[in-house]
Amino acid sequence: MIGTSLCRWAISYFAVAIVWLLLAEALMVVGFGFPNHDIGAPETLVIVHMVSIGWLSTVLCGALFQFVPVLVARPLYAERWTLPALALLTLGLMVLLAGFLALGGHINGPPWLLPIGAGLLIAGFALVVANLGMTLWSARPLPLPARFVAGGLACICVTAAFGGLFSLVLSGTAIGAQWPELLVSGVPIHALAGLGGWLTFTAMGVSYRLLAMFMLAPDGDARLGRLAWSAGIIALAVGLVGGALALWRMTGLNLAFLLAGTAALLSLAAYGRDVLGLYRTRKRRALELNTRMSLVALTSLIAVAILGAACLATGTFSSHVGALAFLLAFGWLTGLVLANLYKIVPFLTWLETYGPVMGRVPTPRVQDLVAERRASKWFVLFFAGSWTATLMLMIDAPLGFRVAVAAVMVATLGLSEEFIRARRLTDVAAAQRLPTGAAAPHLLVSRN
Amino acid sequence: MTEFIDVDVRPILRAGGEPFSIIMAALERLEPGEGLRLYAPFKPVPLFEVMASRGFAHRAAELEGGEWEIRFMPDDGSVEAPEPVFAASSEGDWPEPAVHLDNRDLDPPEPMVRILAALERLAPGQTLSALLSREPVFLFRELSKRGHQWRGGFTPQKDSYQLTVRVQP
Repeated sequence: MIGTSLCRWAISYFAVAIVWLLLAEALMVVGFGFPNHDIGAPETLVIVHMVSIGWLSTVLCGALFQFVPVLVARPLYAERWTLPALALLTLGLMVLLAGFLALGGHINGPPWLLPIGAGLLIAGFALVVANLGMTLWSARPLPLPARFVAGGLACICVTAAFGGLFSLVLSGTAIGAQWPELLVSGVPIHALAGLGGWLTFTAMGVSYRLLAMFMLAPDGDARLGRLAWSAGIIALAVGLVGGALALWRMTGLNLAFLLAGTAALLSLAAYGRDVLGLYRTRKRRALELNTRMSLVALTSLIAVAILGAACLATGTFSSHVGALAFLLAFGWLTGLVLANLYKIVPFLTWLETYGPVMGRVPTPRVQDLVAERRASKWFVLFFAGSWTATLMLMIDAPLGFRVAVAAVMVATLGLSEEFIRARRLTDVAAAQRLPTGAAAPHLLVSRN
Repeated sequence: MTEFIDVDVRPILRAGGEPFSIIMAALERLEPGEGLRLYAPFKPVPLFEVMASRGFAHRAAELEGGEWEIRFMPDDGSVEAPEPVFAASSEGDWPEPAVHLDNRDLDPPEPMVRILAALERLAPGQTLSALLSREPVFLFRELSKRGHQWRGGFTPQKDSYQLTVRVQP
């Protein structure tokens, strides 16, 4: 059996991601992007890509580099590819954002910024997908959580491919001019593959295993898990293939999305039921803050599903799509990620610091690296702010939205400080902090 | 094409026996180029390392009822060899465990801390057995760094992980 070691750069991915999240929140607070601008405006695209690539994709990549080897009990295919991938993703996003700003007339920039940025991002994601894909490939047949990750990796390829095509259209190149319809029909596919397939589906898979681990629950009901996986794959396949056919006017986009939406709801219902089962059969009665907050994030996902279905039924989906996307990105994904970082950062820090001396000298517990009471107020503020912001978008109150996002940003800053304190072992009693043989970890890089 | 010799350890394990020596004996009888097809009631993960250290790659496939068919074939370099570890040496039988730990209800990483602490108190060559609720993936690294050997795998009911560690002789 091969042991799993620490991914050297996972912590660096987390740090870069949090900086992007704070930047995006700051821009929203000052009234940049939707709802102060049009939902398709370049300003909105800046925010959307800061959140979806800078924050969510970067943090997810870091987490996957650490946890895919745990899921499949295999070492990462190429640890040395992780840092170049981070550099490509970060640089690519900066160039892409500059392209959007030029498109919106905020800066003077050449038209090739968008395709170059997209190309760098595609190269970065290709490194990530190849690395994780080869790791998964070496571990066939895959356990269930890893199959969710495999589905997510397929979706990031679709997302990136469409993003690359859009960059050609938006920058006014000759190749892009052949695809005038692409932006109309392609954007829903790009968003579905990115938010639904890559981010949500992957997060579902990883959270399965982490929730079971940290609640001391037996693995979930295999039938429900398989149903959640296969219904999700069907939803993504119907949405993507139907959407692509709609590009050639062979099917209606709405029909494809209605079928995909139904399958997605079935997948979510099976997943939610299974997580509830984990919660009921857990051996650890008192739940830690990270698990409680993951469950709160899950209620946001359920709310998105219910609100989305209600909006579709009443024909108001297109006017509320911004609010739903915000709730999905912040209430569910950002909430889930922050909750899990609150466990992952101290856990990795603990392992790095005390692993070498474990069993030989008394060491603090992982719980001694955190102060849950202090952190819980930041989580309360975070979720209250996210839900209020969603409500403000629903009732079309831009100023209220900005105030609510300001609260979310304060909460994010508070949680960032908690992560830094854990990394620096600030909350560990001084007598126990660094026993002989243990070395204090660096803030941004792990020793492995 | 690789020729396979079949070894079915399911009856042995069901009878409560230890199939390790039988697998090793079958391995000794293989002709060059021949492979071993193993049938087991669970995925014998620790065995993969032992076989890898002897130059065998494996392909595992789950059968009906949670049973497994694993084909071990001579590794001609087409499958990437896993990094060498100190896991599960093939030399004979280990002594009866001096310490038994039931760590199934402990919060991670407490199971790992207790196992390492207990190992510090054992004499060279002594063994420890532990029951865990999951495969202790982060523990293996520490064990190999400290030069200990181990064997482990999920119990046939798949509800716990049985680990035996021998202190470096």
